[in-house]
Amino acid sequence: MRYHVNHPQVINETIEGEAIMINLVTGNYYSLDSIGGEVWELLEQSLSVDDIVSTLGQRYDAPEGIIRKAVVDLLDQLVGEQLVVRDDSRGTAQSAPVAEVPGGRLPFHNPRFEKFTDMQDLILLDPVHDVDQRGWPYAADSRAAN
Amino acid sequence: MTSISGGGLMQPIVAPQTEASSRTSSYPSVPELRAAFARANDLGTLDVRRLRIGGHILELRFATPGLAPCVLPAFGHLTFDSTAEPELVVHIWDSASGDVAPAPMPRTDPQSPAGAFYFFEEAPMRGVYQPGMEALSVVDLAADDAWYFVKDPAALPYWELAAPIRQILHWWMASRGHQQVHSGAVGLADGGVLLVGNPGSGKSTSALICLDSELRYAGDDYAMVSLEPYPTVHSLYCSGKVHPHNLSRVAHIAPALWNAERLETEKGVAFLSEHFPEGMIEGFPLRAIVLPRITGSLETRVVPASRAAALTALAPSTVFQLHNSSAEALRYMGKLVREVPAFVLELGADVSEVPEVLLELLHELKTAAP
Repeated sequence: MRYHVNHPQVINETIEGEAIMINLVTGNYYSLDSIGGEVWELLEQSLSVDDIVSTLGQRYDAPEGIIRKAVVDLLDQLVGEQLVVRDDSRGTAQSAPVAEVPGGRLPFHNPRFEKFTDMQDLILLDPVHDVDQRGWPYAADSRAAN
Repeated sequence: MTSISGGGLMQPIVAPQTEASSRTSSYPSVPELRAAFARANDLGTLDVRRLRIGGHILELRFATPGLAPCVLPAFGHLTFDSTAEPELVVHIWDSASGDVAPAPMPRTDPQSPAGAFYFFEEAPMRGVYQPGMEALSVVDLAADDAWYFVKDPAALPYWELAAPIRQILHWWMASRGHQQVHSGAVGLADGGVLLVGNPGSGKSTSALICLDSELRYAGDDYAMVSLEPYPTVHSLYCSGKVHPHNLSRVAHIAPALWNAERLETEKGVAFLSEHFPEGMIEGFPLRAIVLPRITGSLETRVVPASRAAALTALAPSTVFQLHNSSAEALRYMGKLVREVPAFVLELGADVSEVPEVLLELLHELKTAAP
């Protein structure tokens, strides 16, 4: 199973390994810590879940089952928040070998995924309508904020 | 100054829709806008003013008298006399003060929230109609022309007067490589900081308290930034807004309040260049991004913050208040936070400590610079 970022509804930026994502339709925004940011970066490369788990396993010192559960749980959350979409197509991207970490593999922890909703209420008061194909002045109904 | 009634304490923030161009032939065209402005101009009350924002010269042409008192006060520190050719001309008029026919306006759903934005784009034109204010903002990025029409200036809410023609400035300045941000800004000629955070974080209070200090004021809610040749902050507005329950903390701005009699229903708005002319600054090199945070502790201090925290504090509220180009705006802000360090400003019980703490930070950053 692969995933892709739910563009253009979602925009994102990664800074020093931490990912920030903004859902332009719901008004929520999110942050992922360094491990979560790695998962995000790997899914952006269209790697399969197996390859994501394998890549993390080369870098972090944890049983494969622990890593897999953490990755799958995170991906489920990202899907639930409409940040990523499951992709049933057969992708060809494969993970690249991870450079050996000096001093051995790093300790693993479950990715920290934070959700911020403080923009949401204000957005419901002030939806943005893009003009539909009929043009001005008709709002594109499907694009109204919910 | 004309008395303008305003709305409630809630200031609207708009969620951008995903970027999508409209394929249309019925948005207001340049000839229609020019004709509408020309009809207004037949009144013979044309008033022309020049602004300098981020080194760019803008010309505001008021065809009717009703909007100058609404637009000019926030630019008091940036208005200047010049014969230089303007880079952008903004045509401004209203129906009420000139009894002229309105600009072409869209029909909208009467059930739509008052803060709704109707956005359209067909290069090089961009525009937005705000039915709650019956305000139209359009820019032609190829011709460097813009139009700002309001049906009735008396119906403009207080926040629009604090940050006038903001969408037009956002679009045109972006075409010149700048980025508007939701941020306060204070500093000295050789360097300053952005104050970033959501409403209630202490951003505005932290900016306003600096008026009573050596630090100069470049804004409390919106600023403009540039990346080249080095990160720079440019002031947009000399306005400041204060929640009535915070007024005691920034009592020095009370004489500058424009809507003192309406604080039960509005945030206090002050146009600060009139009362603090030496306290304003047009811009400065950016030295740090500062995240005010109310801690409940006694002491005010700064502690390092991650760049990710800085982007999280800066980007969402900026993106949700601008339309469109959200992905580009986020990338721009990502580049910005990579260029300068970030700090949390832990606000103690005595906010008067803020300027001294920021001055010390700026001094340390200057001393540490290679």
